[in-house]
Amino acid sequence: MKNISLLAILFSLFLVASCTDKSVDPVDEPGPVGLEFDNVAIINDIVRQLNLKTIGDTEYDLMNGMDQQFNVTLLRYYISHIVLEGPNGEYFEDEVSVSATDSKGYYLIDESDATSQAVELENVPAGRYNKLSFTVGVDEDGVLEGAAGGALDPANKMFWNWNSGYIGVKFEGQSDVSIGGASGETVMTDNPKGMVYHIGGWKDIDGTPFVYNNRRLTLNFDTEAIVNSSEAPEVHLYFDVLKMFKGVNTIDFTGNNNVHKPSDGKAAAENLDAAFIYDHIHQ
Amino acid sequence: MKQTILFVLVILMGLACQKDDGNDPENPYQFVRPSHFPEPTYTFENNPVTENGFKLGKKIFNDPILSIDNSIACSSCHVKSVAFADPQHRLSLGVFERVGIRNAPGIANMAFMKEFLWDGGGIHLDFVPPNAIENPVEMNETLAHVVQKLNAHSEYPDLFQEVFGPIDSINAPLMLYALSQYMNLLVSANSAYDQFYLGKGSLTANQQKGMKLFEEKCASCHSGVLFTNQDYRNNGLDTVFMDEGRARITEWDGDLGKFKVPSLRNVAITAPYMHDGRFNTLEEVLDHYAQGVIMSPTLASELQQNNKLGIDLTTDEQQLIIEFLQTLTDWEFISNPIF
Repeated sequence: MKNISLLAILFSLFLVASCTDKSVDPVDEPGPVGLEFDNVAIINDIVRQLNLKTIGDTEYDLMNGMDQQFNVTLLRYYISHIVLEGPNGEYFEDEVSVSATDSKGYYLIDESDATSQAVELENVPAGRYNKLSFTVGVDEDGVLEGAAGGALDPANKMFWNWNSGYIGVKFEGQSDVSIGGASGETVMTDNPKGMVYHIGGWKDIDGTPFVYNNRRLTLNFDTEAIVNSSEAPEVHLYFDVLKMFKGVNTIDFTGNNNVHKPSDGKAAAENLDAAFIYDHIHQ
Repeated sequence: MKQTILFVLVILMGLACQKDDGNDPENPYQFVRPSHFPEPTYTFENNPVTENGFKLGKKIFNDPILSIDNSIACSSCHVKSVAFADPQHRLSLGVFERVGIRNAPGIANMAFMKEFLWDGGGIHLDFVPPNAIENPVEMNETLAHVVQKLNAHSEYPDLFQEVFGPIDSINAPLMLYALSQYMNLLVSANSAYDQFYLGKGSLTANQQKGMKLFEEKCASCHSGVLFTNQDYRNNGLDTVFMDEGRARITEWDGDLGKFKVPSLRNVAITAPYMHDGRFNTLEEVLDHYAQGVIMSPTLASELQQNNKLGIDLTTDEQQLIIEFLQTLTDWEFISNPIF
């Protein structure tokens, strides 16, 4: 008797399970969302693709807020802790975890590597999304677990050995008003025009003097990204390099051109909030 | 969930095998917290110590492949016979005879430290070796190039596969994991002092007098069984700080000239002393605290009690404290054949 009722229960469970499987509509199943980080210079509302110069190239194609000419030889930054939200309670939080061979949820965007600029989020619950949040930089949960592989590999030249932590944004270039003496990956100390902004600082501890330079940004979309297993929306974002140097703080290239510690990078870090811009969605 | 179970297991294993001196004769390659030591700070759940991992870390530690001209190994400035300190140079020497800015500190009980290096710039043990590897006045290499050399080596690819495999290739984090496995096992907890502390051995009358004096006069900073409060202090060496010390990391003038309070375990064999190795003997160190302390805005409050600079110590008392400090030498540690 016992065995029969057990069988009956198992059988009905099986039925229920098979019913739910059949009732799933593709529009209810999770799907992918792509984020494209397009590094640009927006001049008079005209968006220009960034053009990385080779080391020592003294052709200056950009201008900061003080009309000082400059160019870019290197641009790399970390995006992490990505969250998507929608008007009806839709919520997706990108998984973050590190190991010696991989770092999930941390993305190193490199202007010299086009594939790095496309971030693919998987298994986003079906729904409509109109809001994106992310952190520029790597917070303590990416640091305190120890050495990590993938995007966070300390061999990627985005790590400060002398003061353990990740450089959130690494900008290097040259300006004709630079006082020289800067040093970085693409800028040698003897480069008279060099300028280097390595922006880092992750210790966010009340009551301590540490400078925290990671930025938590939220971008609202002017439309909704429709997500399900038969859609693949692409959210197109700009990073306007010009805005790093003008905005809440005006950066003067005649001084402070060799930024290698948190306090020196604070002004540029505060400008980052406006440098990331939502542009459009390819549905 | 799996990680949690693993973590609990690791802790249970640790408890089950807990030994006083940090050594398990059954398996000397297992990390064991000595019973009188605090909980370790290292993230063992990510990187537990294994026999092969330890041996790989030891091989890398002793291999000059880490330096740009293959001339300098970790062990060049961290010498086992003196508890992994640098006995030869006041300021440690790097590649091309380049002079560093500080004296290489000893390596012992790293698994219990919250921060590393004289200024505390290292936040995790895994991140300490790159500081030496990529520093122009130390090994002057890049992690990327070291990894390239390891992958092209005749032995390392197989050794890494044995420890961490299957892996596509050697990467920097795996190399740092191996080095941490080696360093984490370097536990020094079996000195004459430990024997006494655990009721298994005795100290002479003078050593005990020295211990009492030490507890009264030194232990507010050199506290606990690690003999450090793991904080930062300006101990009155200078008024002009060529080396900013802790302020380099906090970027705060209130930390100028402060350095990490060093552990005093094995201190009798880890000369020279201070961040810049300026003192050659413990006598000089004690004499500094008794009558050499200089006033400056960030001077440790412990060294300016009752409107007097330094620590009130007679010559005899200094000698007794030195006799006690000698009981912190762990002969088993520096002669351990597996290290």
